[in-house]
Amino acid sequence: MAFVEFRDVRKIYQMGSVEVHAVDGMNFEIEEGELCVIVGPSGAGKTTVLNMLGGMDSCTSGTILLDGSEVSAMNERQLTQYRRHDIGFVFQFYNLVQNLTALENVELASQICRNPLPAATVLAEVGLADRQDNFPAQLSGGEQQRVAIARALAKNPKLLLCDEPTGALDYQTGHQVLKLLQDSCRKSGRTVAIVTHNSAFTQIADRIISVREGRAKSVELNATPVDAMSLEW
Amino acid sequence: MIRSIRGSLGRFLAIMGIVALGCGFFAGLQMTGPDMRDAADRWYDGTRLWDLRVVSTLGFSSEDVARIDATPGVEVSMPAKSCDVMMSLGDEQIAARITSIDVNATVASKVTGRYTVASKDARYLNRPMLREGTWPKAADECVISADAVGHFKLGDTVEVLYSTDNLNDTLAVQCFKVVGTVSASDYPYTASFGSTTLGTGQIDEYLYVREAAFIQDLPYTQVYVRVRGAEAQLSESSAYEKVVEKVAGRLEDREGELARSRQDDLKLEAQTKLDDKRADFDAQRADAEAKLDDARQQLADSYSKLEDGETKYASGKKKRDDGAAELSRKRDDARKQFAEAEKKLNDGKKQLDEKEKELLASLSELDPAPKDLSSAKEIVASNLEQLNSGISQLDQGINQLKQGIDGLAQLKDGLAQAQDAVFQLEQAKLQLGPAWTEEQEQQLLAAKAQLGSLQTQVEALTTQLGDNPEAKLSQLETQRQQLDASRRQLTAAGEGIDQLQTAKTKLQSGRDELATQKAEANKKLDAAQAKIDDASAQLSNSRTKLDDAWTKYYDGKASYEQNRTDADKKFADAENDFAEAQRKIDEIELPDLYVLDRTKSEGAVTYHADAQRMDHIARVFPLMFFLVAALVSLTTMTRMVEDDRIQIGTYKALGFSTATIASKYLVYAAAASITGAIIGTLVLTQVLPSVITSSYSIIYAVPELKVPLPIDPVIALFSGGLGVGVTLLATWGAVVSSLRSTPAELMLPRAPKAGKRILLERIGPIWHHLSFSWKVTFRNLFRYKRRFLMTTIGIAGCTALLLVGFGLHDSIWDIIDRQFGPVVHYDTTVGLNDSSTTANVDAVANYLTSSTDASHLVRARQENLQASSAFYGNKHLRIQVIIPQDSKGFDEAISFQDRLSGRRLDFSDDSVFVTEKAASLLGVSVGDEIELYKQDAIGSAVGEPQRLRVTGIAENYVGNLVYVGCARWSKIGSALTDGKDAANPVFSTIFFSRGAATNKEKLSAGLHDLTGVSTVEYVDETIKTYRSMLSVVDKVVVVLIVSAAALAFIVLYNLTNINIEERKREIASLKVLGFTRREVYAYIFREIGMLAIIGDIAGLILGTFLERFVVTAAEVDYVMFGRLIHLTSYGFAFGLTLLFAAAVLVMMRRKLDRVDMVESLKSVD
Repeated sequence: MAFVEFRDVRKIYQMGSVEVHAVDGMNFEIEEGELCVIVGPSGAGKTTVLNMLGGMDSCTSGTILLDGSEVSAMNERQLTQYRRHDIGFVFQFYNLVQNLTALENVELASQICRNPLPAATVLAEVGLADRQDNFPAQLSGGEQQRVAIARALAKNPKLLLCDEPTGALDYQTGHQVLKLLQDSCRKSGRTVAIVTHNSAFTQIADRIISVREGRAKSVELNATPVDAMSLEW
Repeated sequence: MIRSIRGSLGRFLAIMGIVALGCGFFAGLQMTGPDMRDAADRWYDGTRLWDLRVVSTLGFSSEDVARIDATPGVEVSMPAKSCDVMMSLGDEQIAARITSIDVNATVASKVTGRYTVASKDARYLNRPMLREGTWPKAADECVISADAVGHFKLGDTVEVLYSTDNLNDTLAVQCFKVVGTVSASDYPYTASFGSTTLGTGQIDEYLYVREAAFIQDLPYTQVYVRVRGAEAQLSESSAYEKVVEKVAGRLEDREGELARSRQDDLKLEAQTKLDDKRADFDAQRADAEAKLDDARQQLADSYSKLEDGETKYASGKKKRDDGAAELSRKRDDARKQFAEAEKKLNDGKKQLDEKEKELLASLSELDPAPKDLSSAKEIVASNLEQLNSGISQLDQGINQLKQGIDGLAQLKDGLAQAQDAVFQLEQAKLQLGPAWTEEQEQQLLAAKAQLGSLQTQVEALTTQLGDNPEAKLSQLETQRQQLDASRRQLTAAGEGIDQLQTAKTKLQSGRDELATQKAEANKKLDAAQAKIDDASAQLSNSRTKLDDAWTKYYDGKASYEQNRTDADKKFADAENDFAEAQRKIDEIELPDLYVLDRTKSEGAVTYHADAQRMDHIARVFPLMFFLVAALVSLTTMTRMVEDDRIQIGTYKALGFSTATIASKYLVYAAAASITGAIIGTLVLTQVLPSVITSSYSIIYAVPELKVPLPIDPVIALFSGGLGVGVTLLATWGAVVSSLRSTPAELMLPRAPKAGKRILLERIGPIWHHLSFSWKVTFRNLFRYKRRFLMTTIGIAGCTALLLVGFGLHDSIWDIIDRQFGPVVHYDTTVGLNDSSTTANVDAVANYLTSSTDASHLVRARQENLQASSAFYGNKHLRIQVIIPQDSKGFDEAISFQDRLSGRRLDFSDDSVFVTEKAASLLGVSVGDEIELYKQDAIGSAVGEPQRLRVTGIAENYVGNLVYVGCARWSKIGSALTDGKDAANPVFSTIFFSRGAATNKEKLSAGLHDLTGVSTVEYVDETIKTYRSMLSVVDKVVVVLIVSAAALAFIVLYNLTNINIEERKREIASLKVLGFTRREVYAYIFREIGMLAIIGDIAGLILGTFLERFVVTAAEVDYVMFGRLIHLTSYGFAFGLTLLFAAAVLVMMRRKLDRVDMVESLKSVD
């Protein structure tokens, strides 16, 4: 059994009298330790997939499995625990708590989970050891995103989910962030899923899932992922 | 528009609610005062209450009334008689005001509504409204207040004890039966119907009686006046005052004329009376003089009589004395004679005695030797007898001897013969031998016997005669001669004795005779003496009689002289009196006339002041509400504008003008606030005044206005305008501040506010010990300054209002709890009337200690006076001066202490302590001077002020008191009490604690029997009265607390709502991070909780000041509210606010739960 499994997962929104099928029978698997890129155009349902996988949203039907637990069957409380212990999230707009320093933002996450990584260490790992006492507003976008990644990693999650992590970043910092994500996968064997509309990112992935109109159009394995730093887009 | 309202109903309602509360509260409170005044005005006019009251120190005659009536501007006037008295019903004694009323008018009148009494008699003023029973039908019937605390009841018979003046000169009837109860507009304030010099200085009850209950001669004591045109004005408004003042001025201008005619009338009347009296007196005096003269004549007569008696007595006495002298002479003569006789007798006796002695001496050879005459006689006689017998024996012997001799001889012859015969016969016998016959033998034998006997005889005789009988015979013959000589001697002695005895007897008889003579003489003398004694007795008797008569005479004389002196004195006194009376008549001063308006009526003034107090409170309180309303509107509208940021940006980009864009929000805000203002005003202008006036009805007889209450359009528009205006201003501010940004900026979500280090972080030790979420909380607190400020102010406002509510409650009940705990220790006061003496007070004290278990008795003197000071302007404050008898021991009754520090103040004979409220009213502190004035009958200050330097300010809540040490008082007391207290003031009030076993009724009854006792006051009765009065304010407090609670809720809900709205993204982030629900609540609510606590604390501080302000505004002159808010009240205010916060937070949990992670974190595409 794969680490992550989506079996015929559907998400239907009721907008007035119109049913919107955001995800319409999604099927894919991700193996443990893989860097997976979910790629597709805007509105293809990739963020919804990520939200459902991250326990932020529930599916209308189908089964979502992570490491053998059926996420799709979890209730509110179980989902909270699931998010707390198993999932790390990185958003396009970082969503740092503005009123906490970089270190504190990391600690915010690490204090609530079972086997957190030391916040300062993680922050050092993302290269922000000397900025740890700065507030988000005092950091650049890339630095903020790295804090966000550090926050996600510090929880020592089974799965790191990133929603357009470079979307608000410039080219250079985008690379750094991608590199960081790739490294965390490669070095610590963490399973990472990145959602992006930028198909260039697929080159760094072990597994590429193309999503279109709420379905996994194709699932490809990439035997030779390139280093994120050498990526061009 | 409607869509936007529906879309944000919560927000709309929040603004509406807060504006409703603010405007309603403001308008409601603002209108309470006018409503109260309106009610009073309707009542005063409806019952035709006087506008002016004219009183005179000398009263008014009917002519005076007519004169007043004729003054221009006087619509109508009505005279009345009235007096202040102490009355009793059973044990209760209270001060009451009795006023005469025209019963015919009252009976013809009819209560025609809540406020009006209709009567055809236009002259019938101050119409009381009959509530129960009937009008008085007889002079001894009365009606009483229906609104008083309830000393008397319908059907009671109440007794007048004494009055300010001589009761018998005032009231013809002194015992009244209560036949009805009335509400009188003249007495709107039911907690005190006015002030008086009697009892506690406060009138507790009023009575209306028929004029016949008063002495007919008593002049009218006052004239009530209705002023033309005053009815149209609101009572006590400035317009009203203007109308009334004009007429008052006119009356005052006429004061001189009125006073002069009153003076003339009185003088004439008094002079006539005096002249009559003078004539009476002169007649009486003549009578008395005549009587005295008679008495004097009688005395002279009895004197001459006594003199006669005295002469008679003297002559009688002389006679007796002469008699007595003669008697004594006679007595002396007799005594001399008797003495001579006695001497003779004694001489005789002496001779006799000598003779006797000689005799006895001559007889001394006798055996036994006689010792005295009688024995001598016997002895002589017996010797003589012996002698005689000796002689006769001797004679016998001689004879016998002679005879013997003869016989012998004879015998011898016979013998010889017989011898012869016998011889012869023997011879014969011999011769005759046997012829001897027997016969012859016999003869011979006889002759022989004879011869034998003869021979025996001769032998015996011879033996007998012895030898020589002749010698014997001659011896005997000699003896006999001797004896004869002795016999002769003895016989002579016997004769001597006899002679002596005879002499003696003679002497004795002489003596006896003398004795008899003496006795006779004595008898005669004694008889004479008896006569003299009788005379003496008679004399002494008449002496006694004379003396008695003299005593009587002198008594009579003395009493006459006394009478004379008395009469002279009386005449002199009477003359003096007449002179005095004459002087008084001559000195009848112009009476003092007072023209008093309603501001001099305690009831009307108190009511008016309470209405104004409401105005004061109304000015401050709603400010809080408006402030909070403005805050709420500002935050709410800011949020609304924030929410529409992008839309606004779009409009702006599209070229809409600021005004156009703003109009949407302004219209929204206007809709909400106008709706709120209308609803709030409509509801609260009815509810608030109703609640407050109905509370006030406990102490005011003024009928409440009926709902719907009039709404003052000015106030309504003002408060509404203010409410709407504040909201619109806040909205405008929010919109404008947003619109200042460029459209481009507006299109972007507002950049999150940067995090910042806070001061607390620099205090390493604390900061590092804080848990992680606390750090966030603290940072957030200081990060959003505006939100912080708004929430804090909002919550502080609520807490402050709550605290004011609870604090007012504390302040009110502190009056009772502090006054009758730490300050006042006695529970009963006994007052004696002015004329009582120290002995009376002693008797009362004695009764208390011996017949009851009363303890802690303390004596003091109480005086009702007026006070002022240099800082008090030209006004005067009614105060009670207490002079403790024993300065040191007075703390048994009252503790003097400084309220703030709780420090005890030592009271000495030189102390002057002013109670705190009085001191603050007078504006004096320790070291300043207060001025004390006497108080006249209508309670104005008169006379020269007496100045005292204040030495202490004492905690006190009820009443305004000045405690003066007796040493100080002795210097000024005389001037303030018309000399009554000059030397030794009578400490005629006793404060004490009655024992647990002492029943109040019994105590009152017992005290009532003691001389001089005028008042018995029980502290718990006072407390009861205060409780009922203060419960009024308590209701206002409830209103406050309820509104504060409503406010607190709205503010907290709104602010929390906005807080969550603004932080949705952050909350979603946390949720994504896997924060459990509870952790999310904690994260958000901790912050709001902190804000609530900070606001709460700020509110407590703010509330403390606000409460102080409100308390000072709400206080009446007579009472000081407690100045300290209790800890529990802080606790309640704090706790309640937190409770509301907690309730709001509980409601907000759902909102937090509903924050959708996906929606909130959606990337902005």
